[in-house]
Formats: sequence, C-alpha cells, structure tokens
Amino acid sequence: MQRRRWLLQLVLRALAHRKGRTALLLTVLAMASSLATALGIVSYSMEKRVAEEVRKYGANLIVIPESARLDVGSGGLNFGVVSEPAYLQQRQVEDALTKSGLKAERSYHLRGVLHWKDADLMVEGVNFADIRRLFPWWQLKGTWPMAGETVVGSDLATRLKLKAGDTLELVGKAQTVKLRISGIVSSGGEEDGLLFLALPELQQALGLDGQLTLVRLMVTAGGDSLKKSAFALQSLLPTAKVNEVRQTARTSEGLLAKVKLLMFMVTAVVLVSAGSSVAGTMSTTVLERGKEIGLMKAMGGTRWEVMLIFCGEAVVLGVLGGVAGYLFGTVISQFITKTVFSSSAELIPWFAGISLGVSLFLALLGSVGPMIAVFKLDPVRSLRGE
Amino acid sequence: MAPAIIETNGLTRSYGDICALKPLDLQVPEGEWLSVMGHSGSGKSTFMNLVGGLDRPTAGSLKVGGEDLLMLSEDGLARFRREFVGIIFQQHHLVPYLTAVENVMLAQYFHSVPDEAEARSALERVGLGHRLKNRPGELSGGEQQRVCIARAIINSPKLLLGDEPTGNLDHKSTVMVMELLKELRAEERFTVIMVTHNQEVATWGDRTIYLDDGVLVREERMRS
Repeated sequence: MQRRRWLLQLVLRALAHRKGRTALLLTVLAMASSLATALGIVSYSMEKRVAEEVRKYGANLIVIPESARLDVGSGGLNFGVVSEPAYLQQRQVEDALTKSGLKAERSYHLRGVLHWKDADLMVEGVNFADIRRLFPWWQLKGTWPMAGETVVGSDLATRLKLKAGDTLELVGKAQTVKLRISGIVSSGGEEDGLLFLALPELQQALGLDGQLTLVRLMVTAGGDSLKKSAFALQSLLPTAKVNEVRQTARTSEGLLAKVKLLMFMVTAVVLVSAGSSVAGTMSTTVLERGKEIGLMKAMGGTRWEVMLIFCGEAVVLGVLGGVAGYLFGTVISQFITKTVFSSSAELIPWFAGISLGVSLFLALLGSVGPMIAVFKLDPVRSLRGE
Repeated sequence: MAPAIIETNGLTRSYGDICALKPLDLQVPEGEWLSVMGHSGSGKSTFMNLVGGLDRPTAGSLKVGGEDLLMLSEDGLARFRREFVGIIFQQHHLVPYLTAVENVMLAQYFHSVPDEAEARSALERVGLGHRLKNRPGELSGGEQQRVCIARAIINSPKLLLGDEPTGNLDHKSTVMVMELLKELRAEERFTVIMVTHNQEVATWGDRTIYLDDGVLVREERMRS
C-alpha cells in the first residue's frame, strides 16, 4: 500500500473515531466559510446591481472646452473677463480616449443656435443611437429621428406649438437645414427646452465640422477609479476640462462601500471566533491523544511525520468544511438577496475556491498551536500519560 | 562470546536533583535475553527508555548496535528507533480506531511502506490470524499483547524491549506470551531487554540484573 494512501486512511479513521469532535469542527469551519461565501456573493451581486443602477443615471464624466478668456481693461481699470465660445476637436477627443485606454461609453454633443422664423432656437446635435443607450430615461412621443428628421423638447414644442410631422426650416451660419419633427422628447431636465438633430447636420449648418461643445462619458468604474480616469484623461486634453459628475451614483457607491465594509468586519469577527474555536477543539484533541502521539514517536515516527498526520486531519477537515461552506453559503446568499434586495444572487463557481481557502486557512491556523505541541511532545512522558 | 550490542559507561539519568539512574557500566552481548528487575522507582524503566532511544542520558556514554546515541539528533533517534528497536508495552498502547492488522501496519508506515500481507503474516505468527480485523476494544488483554508483539517484530528489530509486557496478564496469558517471545527470539535472533517485577518472568532470560535506587546491585546468570 502506498504511504500516501495509508496516511489518508489513517487520517480518515482518526476523524471517524471522534465523530462528535469531527462534527463540531466541520460545523464551525462550514459555518465560517459559508458566511464568508454568502457575504462575498451578496457583496458581489450588490456591486453588480449598483453598477447597473449607476448606468441608468447616465454619464459620470463630462468633457467641455476650456473657454478662451480675455481680461478687458487698461492700466488700473479692469472691466472684467469675457469668454468666447470654444469648441472641442472631435478627433482630438477620440485620440485621447484611445490613448487613455479608458473603457467608457460616450456621446458627442454640439450646442448652438439656429433661426426659425423670427426666433432663435437653442439646438443640439447628437448621435441618436448614443442617446438611446446612455439616456434610457428620455421619454419620446413619436419615433426616433432618421436622416432629415428632428426631435423637439416637450417645453419647446408647447411654447412654439410644434407637433410630430411638422416641418421646420432652420437657418444656420453656414447652411439652412430642412427637418421633419419625428417626435417630442421629455427628460425632465434642460433637454425639454432644446431641439435635437443629427450631429453632422448641425456641424454643417453652423460651419463647425468636427467640433463639439460637450462629450459625455460613462466610465465603468467608481469611487477613486473615476477620479483617476478623469485625471488621466485631463492630462491628455490640456485644452479641455474633464469634470466628474457628482450625482446619485456617488451616493450609491458610498453606501455600497459602507455596506461592504460592514460585511467585511462581520466576516472578520466570525472568522476570528471560528479560528479560536478550531484552536480550542484541536488542542483538546491533541491533549487526549498524547499517548497515541507518544506511541508513534516511540515506533520511530519523526516529529515531522507525526505532525503530518495531524496536519492531514486539519486539511481533510478544511476541505470538507470548505465544500459544505460553499454550498450553504450559496443557499444563504440566495436567501439574503431575495429577502433584502428582492432579487436572486448569481451562482458564482469561483467562490468555491474562496470558501475552500477560508476553511483551510482556519483549520490550519487553528492547528498551529496543537501542531507545535505535537512536535514538542516527549514520547516517554506522553506514554506515561503525563 | 558474541560482541556487545549494548555498551554503557557511567550511564546516568537525572531529573533535576533526583538521580533515576546512577552511573551504570554494562555490556549486553548480541542475542542475549536480559531481564531487568527492581522495585518501582529503581530505574529499570529509565534504563530501558535510554537503551531504546526514547530518552537521553544526562551523563556517561551509551552505544547500541555501534551507534552512539548521545550523538544522534531528535530525528536521528527516531530513525534509530524505527530501524533498530521493537517495543512491547505493559499497557499495550494500541491505536483504538485501527484494527489489529492496521496497528501492525502503522509500525511499517513509520519504518518504510505498509504491507498488509506481511502484517497479516506477523499476526498469524502470534496466533491471531482469526482476529485481524478486530479493534483493540474487541480483544482480550492477552490478545492485545500479542498484537503488540507482532507490531514490535514486524520491522525485524535487532533489539526487542519489553516494559513489563506481562504486568497486566493472568498466569496463563503470561506463559503464552513468554513462550511466544522465546520462539520468536529463536527464529529472529534479536536481543531482548525485559523489564519486570515478576521473578518467574525474569527466569525466562539468560541473565538478570537487579537495580535498586538507580544502582546495579546484583547480577544473576540463568541456567540454560
């Protein structure tokens, strides 16, 4: 029989002999690792959920042009500062985004004024596909525009008595564009007072080819990562200002961080308690088995060989506890997410590794003291039962 | 005369102020059966533990099988015990969750590789071929002691140590165990050091030494 197989058989027999103690140790390890697994899965699911929610809030970074500033005055007289409209170069922004390696969804905007009849209309050129993806809360009566079409903000439509199907002839600095209204849009924000048309059409009408007044970015990162992303992009766009949009997303992420910290602390307390419990139980086991250890040494077992047997017991307990912990933890996480968040948690197979790691770590850590005792035990004294 | 397997010069073992074994000069020839007698606390178990490499002397020299035990490290002593010594205990010290054959295989595990066929054969030699799969709790005192003997001889030791091996047995079992040891010794030609209180048990040996308060006070050679 191979030595390894015999060792495993010996370890299993020893564990089976002390059913009560083995059951107690397994329960402690399974409970601790299941809690770590459950809270880990809940935390992971919450993070994904919050990330999905944050997506609904739209962009979290905006890029605007740095206005050209001019001090007006002479000598001791100062009349203040005037700024001219400034624009971002679309190509430059695209290059900067590529260089930064930022993973971000984006929408390009150009805002300007077009004349209609005797009125000046505030208009915005956008890519409607981007708008639909990044601003899912916009409500539209009618259809999204195709080429030669526009959508009008609900307030503007009411003020100018515009409706879907009307045709507008809008005069720009460079060109006049004729557009059919395909729908009326409402966002509950300033967009309700604007008229939207395709970005290239507005750029041509205003004679501002390849120029933008605003870029909205939705970076898939939160907290400090967002700040770092903003900083990285800013360094690549010296003539622009990259601003973080502080909104509900920040609050959600902050709350999530606090909940995660709380979970981490609860898990840490449980793991410390479980580790102490394992250490206590293993120490008692070693004390009870003093004669057995003495006998093994008397038969010629080296300190390391005898310790390996006890280490093997800890590993078997750790593995069994880890597997049980993963299964229980998954069930518990489902219960928590259904009860508290009214949604189901994901089944995450790689958490089995974490559960196994936690359980093994606790089993081995709790066995360090008893192992040292096994190592030092004097065979003569232990055989005498001292 | 056969060469000495055990040689002691001024062998001493003290525990603090208490001297359990006072300087002892002794030679045991290879193949001899030496009985060690004395009252409780006379130093006979201390002597056996020293000779078996389970304990270290505080002074003197001790050579067993040409090996200077004082020079060996902890792991060196463990190697010496597994390769050179077989021990039979008064309390048997069998592992309760292992069967008779597994208890014998445990000694093989520490020595080299467990071999169930060999372990079975050892138990058959001590008359326990029908009790292979029984655990110690299911065996009588005499049977447990025979498992202990099978375990002690499985690795073909040069030196067999018995620490009051019949101390817990009735007369019939004592005679059975002693006859068994005599047969095995004749076959295996190992040296026996037998610690005992029992004068009748001591007479099974070739020579008896008497210890009193850690001092060798008398030596008696038995008639063959």
